[in-house]
Amino acid sequence: MKRSVKLSRTYFVLGIMFTIYGIVLSNLMTIIPTIIPPDVATPSPIDLASNFPFLSVALLSMSGVFFSLPVVMLFVYDKNSGVLEYLLSTGLDQIDIFKGYVKASLVLAVYLLSFAVILNTAVGALLGISLNLLMIIAVLTVAIGVSEVFLVTVCMVAFSSLQKTPMGANQPVGVIIGIIPMFPALLLPIIFPSHAITIDLSVAAVTIFASLALLLSVGRLILREKLLP
Amino acid sequence: MHNGVIMQELKLEEVSSGYGTEEIIHKISLTLTEPSIYVVLGPNGAGKTTLFRTISGILKPFSGKVSFDEMDLFNSKEARRRIAYLSHLNALPEEMTVFNTLKYYADIEGGDVEHTLDLLKLNELRNKKFSSLSQGQKKRVSVGKIFLRERDLYLLDEPTSNVDPKISKEIRELLIELSKNKFVLYSSHNLYEAREIGKYLIVIRNGELKFFDKIENVKTKKYRVGIKTLNDISSYLNAKLENGYFVVTVENPTEVAKIVKDLVAHGAEIIELRELDNPLQEFFEE
Repeated sequence: MKRSVKLSRTYFVLGIMFTIYGIVLSNLMTIIPTIIPPDVATPSPIDLASNFPFLSVALLSMSGVFFSLPVVMLFVYDKNSGVLEYLLSTGLDQIDIFKGYVKASLVLAVYLLSFAVILNTAVGALLGISLNLLMIIAVLTVAIGVSEVFLVTVCMVAFSSLQKTPMGANQPVGVIIGIIPMFPALLLPIIFPSHAITIDLSVAAVTIFASLALLLSVGRLILREKLLP
Repeated sequence: MHNGVIMQELKLEEVSSGYGTEEIIHKISLTLTEPSIYVVLGPNGAGKTTLFRTISGILKPFSGKVSFDEMDLFNSKEARRRIAYLSHLNALPEEMTVFNTLKYYADIEGGDVEHTLDLLKLNELRNKKFSSLSQGQKKRVSVGKIFLRERDLYLLDEPTSNVDPKISKEIRELLIELSKNKFVLYSSHNLYEAREIGKYLIVIRNGELKFFDKIENVKTKKYRVGIKTLNDISSYLNAKLENGYFVVTVENPTEVAKIVKDLVAHGAEIIELRELDNPLQEFFEE
């Protein structure tokens, strides 16, 4: 974990910026009053002030992904320098190695998501958003964030192992696959605010389950020789 | 077991191995029963690294079996923990200090960092960043990681390549001491080194085992060494002059040191020493 942070402060800074962006964007919506579309019969008014803070769940989760990208860079660096080869020779299997990097990215993400959530809660409370809503957002952010980081890390580590010339955090496929669950978490709670908690928790649970299954599979399917420089 | 004593043994039985679908080493069978230094010689691309990776359990053999004390090396974590493998890469986190790079591995697999720093004389470098070291210093630190804890089998892939003679000598002395009760497989291109430190010679060529016996049983031709001097030394050296070199023929490379010492005592100004023929060269040729 320490090695990842030292290796790329850029992603750390990007993560902080994204955190601030997410907090500002979602909490600014509290100053917009309830909107009733004029001359249009709508089933119910859209209460942006109550629903938009849920936007921060997806945006802050994304910042968690940024924080953990250096871990994948480290994986590629260690592969090219022979560190993974040496670890294999000491008796570790490929799944032990993958688990180590996934654990590092999760721990890093939890630390930084906690910071993001505390900041978001403080800003929201100052702007008058209900504490109950803020607590829900905090829990959902950590749940979605951790599940996203898990999936992105496993995808990128797997793809980096399979590439002849691994590109580390620059390779987009792992990130794209990893953030696919972000879209339902981003959009559905705004459209169906009364089911926001259920939707986000379901997305988190499915993502974690898929990540675990993927981790166990790649640990078995990716041969040790793929971790050689 | 023999008379109640557990005999250590590294055994390769008809082992073929490689990468993907490409077979690099073919049906190699070897049994090593004596703790010693086994020098593995072979030209580039012969399969030495593949052999070491297969023995260390990194590569799964396509066929055959590699075992150490009757434990299958690929499938047994316990067996693999008894092996130290030093690849030709440094395999150390470059962004850390020397102390922390060794501690990184000690935290994963156990071991004594302070002992390693003392053994490899690395204490003066302990707080230096690994990336700021010279190649020779990096190699010394890299060798250090295999001494963090005690193992039974050491696989060293060209440990003295790109290293100056002083450090090479220090590393060789460590390995000679180690080989008194451990198995040391040591790959090298340096033919003098092979003769100097090895007890057994294993020759790999085109992925096949070509030779395995004690080095003393190797029937070799003699060594021819060329000495270039600023002054004429023909009056006190029995040597032929060929292309500007006084050529001496010796049975053993260690005789050269005595010749040089005598020449210097007679006032010879030596500017170059060159190996013209090495009898082990025949193992590199078809």
